[in-house]
Amino acid sequence: MNNVIECNNLTHYYGKKRVYENLNFHVSEGSILGLLGKNGTGKTTTINILNGFLQPRSGECLIFGENTQHLSPRTKARIGFLIEGHIQYSFMNIRQIEKFYSGFYPNWKPAPFWELMSKLNVTPTQKISTMSCGQRSQVALGLILAQDPDLLILDDFSMGLDPGYRRLFIDYLREYAKAENKTIFTTSHIIQDMERLIDDLLIIDFDGVLAQTSVNEFMGSFKRFDFVLENDKTDLKKASFVVNLDKVKNKVELYTYSSESIVKKYLDDNNITVSNFAQVKMGLEDAFIGLTGKY
Amino acid sequence: MWKSVVYKEWLKIRWFLIGYTLLGILGIGYLFLTVKHGFAFSGGKNVWNSILFMGYQFFSPLKYVPLVGGLTIAIAQYFPETVNKRIKLTFHLPLGENKALLMMHAFGAISLLLSFLVFFGMFAGFSLLYFPVQMVTDSIISIFPWFLAGFAAYFLVALIVLEPEWKFRFYYFVVGGFFLTIYLNSPVTGAYSPANSGLFVLTAFLSIALLFSAYRFRKGEM
Amino acid sequence: MEKISRYLLVFIAILTLAIILPKLYWMAFEKPVRKPFILYSCINDDFMIHRISEKTWEDTKGNQFTREKYEKKLPLMFEKQLITSGSMPDSIKGIALDMRTISKEKSFFRLKANEIDAPAPGLYPLFESQSGRAKIELPEDFFRITWRIDFIDAATNKVLEEKSQLFSAALFQKGFSFPAKKISGISTPRKSVDEGYFIVDSKDRLFHLKMIKGNPYVKQIDIPEGLKFSHISCVDFKNKDFYAYLFSDKNEIYILTQDDYQLIKWPVEGFDASNRDLKIFGDLFNYTVIIEAEDHTKAIALNSDYQVVKTYTETWKLKEEQPEGKIFTSLFPAQVSMTSDNSKFIRFYFSLSEGFKWIFLNLLLMAFHFIWLYRRKVKLKNHLADMGIVAVSGIFGFIAVHFFPNKFFD
Repeated sequence: MNNVIECNNLTHYYGKKRVYENLNFHVSEGSILGLLGKNGTGKTTTINILNGFLQPRSGECLIFGENTQHLSPRTKARIGFLIEGHIQYSFMNIRQIEKFYSGFYPNWKPAPFWELMSKLNVTPTQKISTMSCGQRSQVALGLILAQDPDLLILDDFSMGLDPGYRRLFIDYLREYAKAENKTIFTTSHIIQDMERLIDDLLIIDFDGVLAQTSVNEFMGSFKRFDFVLENDKTDLKKASFVVNLDKVKNKVELYTYSSESIVKKYLDDNNITVSNFAQVKMGLEDAFIGLTGKY
Repeated sequence: MWKSVVYKEWLKIRWFLIGYTLLGILGIGYLFLTVKHGFAFSGGKNVWNSILFMGYQFFSPLKYVPLVGGLTIAIAQYFPETVNKRIKLTFHLPLGENKALLMMHAFGAISLLLSFLVFFGMFAGFSLLYFPVQMVTDSIISIFPWFLAGFAAYFLVALIVLEPEWKFRFYYFVVGGFFLTIYLNSPVTGAYSPANSGLFVLTAFLSIALLFSAYRFRKGEM
Repeated sequence: MEKISRYLLVFIAILTLAIILPKLYWMAFEKPVRKPFILYSCINDDFMIHRISEKTWEDTKGNQFTREKYEKKLPLMFEKQLITSGSMPDSIKGIALDMRTISKEKSFFRLKANEIDAPAPGLYPLFESQSGRAKIELPEDFFRITWRIDFIDAATNKVLEEKSQLFSAALFQKGFSFPAKKISGISTPRKSVDEGYFIVDSKDRLFHLKMIKGNPYVKQIDIPEGLKFSHISCVDFKNKDFYAYLFSDKNEIYILTQDDYQLIKWPVEGFDASNRDLKIFGDLFNYTVIIEAEDHTKAIALNSDYQVVKTYTETWKLKEEQPEGKIFTSLFPAQVSMTSDNSKFIRFYFSLSEGFKWIFLNLLLMAFHFIWLYRRKVKLKNHLADMGIVAVSGIFGFIAVHFFPNKFFD
């Protein structure tokens, strides 16, 4: 499958502060990928590099094979970009903004835009600046849909949206992307939202990429085991299969990609006595926290 | 494509441009009302005499009018682009970043030019009613740098507003502010005649200044 | 394109800084030069020098005087003071003094370089020279000289065709070659009599134009071959000896006598219309010509036959030669100013600093810039132009390239 986005050896610093070094990832055509990471791990930096608003210290990102520092107009026309906070020209009303953007895109499809707009309780002459956050998000989304791009880059699309609008946004987007074989690259700090939307995930941390895989694969292989240690001095961190460990006195939450049998075998082999051993079912958010830690 | 660019810029500046132009027209109307009044009460020969030999500059109230216009249009046009870094939307449009900026800039500058041409035309037309060509020419030599200052202010505000770093905005402001003073000396009528062509060239130099700060923005300076 | 915009901005910044920084420097540190006030004493046959800030009065040999004694040496200048104090002499050099004669022969003329290099009004009122009225009145119309002479009525802004044709014909008949290069006269009605205008035609010939009872009076004045006037200042002195001081393009000073139109060259040297100010004091016995330059004053006393009787020159250090000026020339490679003391025109007056002391600071700043770049591990190749800019324009360029940094331009 073709890679729509390909980032190679990205390294960036703000002054002396390292954001990341040699970050590599790619997004293949037709996939919906969520970029997850805690605050400060470089989500926005990545989005900015992808959109050509930031020159990385080294490395490069390619979109449709073009370096994002010098995207040609033709390629830019194929990318729909949702700025964090659904920023749009708020001094326009929806009629004006539709008219404005339609002049740039030869494949402009006004229908999805007006379809979305008809669901909002706004008048065509109402300025965007007077709309609610949720309404603005629909305007921004509608414009991207009308642009009909092959790749959608959504920066923190859930910011400021109430649950209803989040749901509306996600469902509309996913249905559209799947129906038209669009590729989506998105970030959000609300991971529950991502779960309904994305196929693949890319988890970055301060040290680089922690995981890049499909959501199903990740959720299938990443597990949490809870148990109670008899001796609360026991140190489990040395075990090679431990990805993360959360220990409060003798209560342990262990995160691993390994199977229950391997964990149990390790405990037996090392004469570690535990009680109440159980695998706990996780949502994506739990798994994310399990992988990256709470801090 | 350019129609859309023009459309957006027009939406931003229209009321400011129209309001400014109307105020300017009223101002110039008032200016010549005072001239007319001077003719009626002091007599034409005394008005002429004070202009020719006593340093009276009947056009001096116009001094900061173009400057205010340049500032107004620039702020109306570029301030909304920097709120929430909205200029990103422009850079994301399917055309070259510099091309997009220059189209916006050209539209703003041409709008300003049209407004100035209205003022200039009114000024020249009314002046020719009251004064012979020589006096009108000297007056135009004197007000010409003020109009250039209007354009320079427009270009400089774009540079400053689009600059992502406050520290550099301050630097540009200092340099730009001092630079504008060279248009605004208060000499005798006609004194700017040897300088006007040079000032014109310098103003033209500034016309692409915004590309510099916009480039810094695009490279992620913050 | 971004690169070009940066270099243009750097250029604008250098220009702006070269205007502003030297100006601010001089505002902060310049000390006023107290020019001596020099007059010629017909009593001592020597120049009397008044130093205003020091409050001293002396002659050229250094003899000090009290203010009262000083004034006594200059009875034709301070005649009112001497009469008040009762010390006015009855006669000088055997010539009896009476107040009327003193006042009649007393004249003062001043010409600054910036009056010569200044925009010309282009339109002038032609007064009626023999109106029969006690007061001269401003006419209703003004003239200009283009391909002919036009009189334009101020009230209606219309050319007075008949009058224009009449005067154009008169000028034409006297051989005037249109247009005019220079039009000089006293354009205010506040004068004792009207003597019209002295006009240099396009072939550098000198004409006198007056209006007498509504009719043109035109006279071509004989002047030596090749003489070109750069400036003419008409005067209205009580003794009516001459119409004007005239200045040639070779910086000679002439007078033009009244009625017989004799052009007399004064044996005065050291004048330069482009940068010297001129004062001429006239009295019963002498003309004292004071030529003021930036770094010296020259006084020349002429007798009533316009022969030099004495000269005196006093020099002082230019502001560039004084300590604060020396610091200036080590800091700033050049200065640009929009205005000049010697002109009323706005120009880009560029002056390179004396000597090459500024090179040291330039090189120092270049080294500093180099270290700054080196520490940032940038490719020096991309910064050669900036280094050159700093090397040439010194402090101005250094500030400019840091205000408009060369970042991201690889």
